[in-house]
Amino acid sequence: MATTPETGSISDEKLVELFISSNDENAFEEIINRYCDKIYKLAFRITRDHHSAEEVLQEVFITLLKKIDTFRSESKFSTWLYRVTANASYMHLRSEKKYENDVSLEDYVPYDENGTLVGRIKAKDWSDRPEKALLSKEAMEIIEKAVDELPEPYRVVVHLRDIEGLSNEEVSVLLGLSVPALKSRLHRARLFLRDKLSDYFYERSK
Amino acid sequence: MVMCKDVVENIIGYIEAELDDKTLDELEKHLHECPECQAFVRTYKKMLELTGKLRERTFVTPDIRQRLKELLKSKLKPN
Repeated sequence: MATTPETGSISDEKLVELFISSNDENAFEEIINRYCDKIYKLAFRITRDHHSAEEVLQEVFITLLKKIDTFRSESKFSTWLYRVTANASYMHLRSEKKYENDVSLEDYVPYDENGTLVGRIKAKDWSDRPEKALLSKEAMEIIEKAVDELPEPYRVVVHLRDIEGLSNEEVSVLLGLSVPALKSRLHRARLFLRDKLSDYFYERSK
Repeated sequence: MVMCKDVVENIIGYIEAELDDKTLDELEKHLHECPECQAFVRTYKKMLELTGKLRERTFVTPDIRQRLKELLKSKLKPN
């Protein structure tokens, strides 16, 4: 499924329009090329299971074929598609009764009762490590693993906001969360991830 | 008085440049004097940069892509 020069530069919304109006298979293939990996990754991030992620991927594209004409162009196509994916992923979790215990990170803070930072942050400062060490295959695996260790409500916001790069407003709409609630989850999740990475890079430097 | 805790709890507003001038001034004053908070902000930003790199990773294998393509082909052309 290669991107053709005709479809490569067209907006998502225009591709949808082309597919609906003329059943243009190239347009649909281009949508697959653009979103196949994104859908799979979001599904995997929610279900943490490759088999479920592939099932969600197939379900989402079948839903897309059947219901693409219900897409309203006043919303962004990508947001709509992510929402369909998230819903399908949660359905999978529900059907397999794989809901995790809701572990809260709300009390996860890096400071003591006096409001002072703890954990010798300056001594462990790893931010100036060479790119080669920070971006090594092992380091990327550690980051991936740290994200997967987050409880699901935190994991999904980190995935959409910090990995996929959606805006606060887009994530808020697609997860049905207020922006302050989203930021609050994101905040605790990031504190957790920063600590995990600090531990990893500090251990490596000893 | 601004403490490390305030830097931590306002970090999203700080990096997204959403703080009001007074809060920003106070935070920056504390940051200037607190090496622990400076390191916190640096490692926080670096963590965001590295997490963003996960976006470049591909999960869908050629096999998964092929199975999807065949499934959709059968749905597109039911006859």
